[in-house]
Amino acid sequence: MSFSATQPPDYFSVFGLPRKLRLEMPLLEQKFLQLSWKLHPDNFVNASESERELSLKRSSELNDAYRVLRDPVGRVEYLLEIEGERREGEKKQQAPPELLEEVFELNESLDELREAKSSGGDFRELKNKLQSAEKNFQEKLDELDTQLQAVARQWDAALDANGTSDARKALMVRMNELLNRRSYLRNLVANVAKEWTEA
Amino acid sequence: MGRIVGIDLGTTNSLIAYIDPQTKKPVCITGPYGSTLCPSVVSLDPDGNIVVGEPARRRLLTQAERTIYSVKRLMGRGVKDIQDELKLFPFRLDPSPSNVIRVRLGDKVFTPPEISAFILRELKNWAEAHFGETVDRAVITVPAYFNDAQRQASKDAGKIAGLDVLRLVNEPTAAALAYGLHEKQRGKVAVYDLGGGTFDISVLKLISTEDGDIYQVLATNGDTHLGGDDIDNLLQAFVHERILQEDEIDFSPHGEIAQELRKTLIALKHQLSEKESATLRFPLPNGKIFTQEFTRGSVDALIRPVVDRTMGPVKLALADATLKPEEIDEVVLVGGTTRTPLVRMTVQDFFRRAPHTELNPDEVVALGAAVQANILDRGVSNMLLLDVTPLSLGIETYGGAVAKIIPRNSTIPASAQELYTTGVDHQTGIDIHVLQGERELAKDCRSLARFTLKTPPAPAGLPRIEVKFLIDANGILQVGAKDVRTGEQHSVEVQPSYGISEREIERMLEDSINFAEQDFAERQAIEARTEAESILTATSKALGQEQAAALSGEERAKIDLAVVGLTEAIAGSDYKLMRRKIDELNQATQHLAEVMMNSAVNTVLQGKRLEDF
Repeated sequence: MSFSATQPPDYFSVFGLPRKLRLEMPLLEQKFLQLSWKLHPDNFVNASESERELSLKRSSELNDAYRVLRDPVGRVEYLLEIEGERREGEKKQQAPPELLEEVFELNESLDELREAKSSGGDFRELKNKLQSAEKNFQEKLDELDTQLQAVARQWDAALDANGTSDARKALMVRMNELLNRRSYLRNLVANVAKEWTEA
Repeated sequence: MGRIVGIDLGTTNSLIAYIDPQTKKPVCITGPYGSTLCPSVVSLDPDGNIVVGEPARRRLLTQAERTIYSVKRLMGRGVKDIQDELKLFPFRLDPSPSNVIRVRLGDKVFTPPEISAFILRELKNWAEAHFGETVDRAVITVPAYFNDAQRQASKDAGKIAGLDVLRLVNEPTAAALAYGLHEKQRGKVAVYDLGGGTFDISVLKLISTEDGDIYQVLATNGDTHLGGDDIDNLLQAFVHERILQEDEIDFSPHGEIAQELRKTLIALKHQLSEKESATLRFPLPNGKIFTQEFTRGSVDALIRPVVDRTMGPVKLALADATLKPEEIDEVVLVGGTTRTPLVRMTVQDFFRRAPHTELNPDEVVALGAAVQANILDRGVSNMLLLDVTPLSLGIETYGGAVAKIIPRNSTIPASAQELYTTGVDHQTGIDIHVLQGERELAKDCRSLARFTLKTPPAPAGLPRIEVKFLIDANGILQVGAKDVRTGEQHSVEVQPSYGISEREIERMLEDSINFAEQDFAERQAIEARTEAESILTATSKALGQEQAAALSGEERAKIDLAVVGLTEAIAGSDYKLMRRKIDELNQATQHLAEVMMNSAVNTVLQGKRLEDF
């Protein structure tokens, strides 16, 4: 297989869309289906080899683009990546300062749970504690998503208003921060859930 | 260009279908034995001829050593993967220096794709005899949950059989195509496909657009080692255990008696799909007849674990499609094992909806393959299939972990780019390990390929190689690489972990043509002659026994006449005449067979012919 040296189009331009973060899903789906009819390899089985290769390349780009843009968080991550503003940063493993205490407590409970599991002790009480902690962090995750949505709206407005690059950059830094915090919390919740099912 | 067909290469049976130009509807081709089902059984006769389908299936009872069934279970797998399988299936493997499986039939060894190719070639012969034209292109179906290696092996089988495989289509998706054409369904459809050896569940969305109908797969899940075979294994183990306890007879689980028992139990299983109870009567080597009454309830209790195992994947597929069971508009049942009442009830209870069973569950996948073949043949169509990759694609990272680069249930074709650089000065290559699966550690995922990216001699971190991983519309991985700084393309030799090389495929293609040299009519004549000989022997044996005295003079004369007719026919070469004479003799001996049967105890054998004794 080979692919041309030219850079592939970004996922927004695959759909002929500006780099806005709030997308109308039915419209995106409609465009996806229309483009699928045109690009899918099924339509090129009897075509020349170069046409077949192009169809494979274009339809995979279309599917990749749809997969990423359909997901509201994946979309933000992707935007920051193509704008060169995605920084996972060294702070990835650190708890956000305002959550330090709660995270510390959670980790302690998790340790206790592991210990109870290995020694065959009773962990019903711990379970309740962890359950409420998990719920608490899940609420914080939902809150983060709401904040991310709000910044996304501001980003779209800034694009519409032809805002300054400084203003846009500030929004992207903010979104990057929210994404990092989000992935931290998600890992946390996933860890609790994992210990859970094992218990 | 020759004809194009759709083929269902199944674990138990395989079928071939095409679109009837008059009715525009898909039709399965009927083979020389009067059925559209070609048993997926291959036998090598002592003269070195390959026998496929119904005659091969009969040889399971007489020449088990030279005969193989359920080879699909071995496709795309390594010797190490199948140790469990070997306990349950009579596969005779040749020791192989590599992990590549080599199956022994008599004095020859074959890889699983070669054996599958014999089945494909047989079906191709059926179609060519039917059309009077060559067949050179095909759409072949595979279980939706087949991984890259299993898909590659299926495609290789097509090539070895001399077919241009235009597309591999997932079995449940093919079934949805056939049903969609049949009923014009809309909305969200769940396809539950339980075959002989594999289980798939696919959730689709059927969309009407201005351009035509789109079949979009939302999610798929399954188990490539779960099917009717497992039900048969349970029944067989149960009865074998009882025989061992009551009669202290222990026979090898792979021998001819075991095959006979398996055949009897499968017939019993089919009976219990129709009625509430059935009796097993099985003649033992010590002359006794093992008898056991089975009710549907007792068998249900025995096989419930197998049926329950299908529900895990069903729930996962729905979760991935973000749908609840009640949001599914239609449920479609596919695969012979869905005839089992317990399977139907389980599915119906879960979705709270009566499943569709209008189309023959054995034929529906082949019919759908023919629909897709027709779409591809015409180039542009008013139907479009958007399928997904069943398993996440990942690459091994530090510490044996896996980084997922294309998530499961991504619409295919799908791709991902990864950027690589060197870690030490003048490093000449970067090792890349590609995996498929959902687990977090490389050792728990399926290894697809390892390859080394060549890097130009340079200080560490300077080379930048972009690798593109692409899953094509068949669900098969392709890899390409380029040097980011120079734009230069790198060729990537991907050695599949347990696959066979292009060169080996070419050699196998040549070999298989040698095997296939006998023309169709000649092969048919040989098969008919073999069958005729066994019927003639059985007839003369039966006539020599005392029960034959019950025949009237007229009946006796009819049989004698038919014997002469058949004996003359097999001296010639007209296989159609032989078939006709075989039928005549079978008809003439029907009463004789009944007389023999009445004196025997075996009522299970009703409807059997003389040669079955």
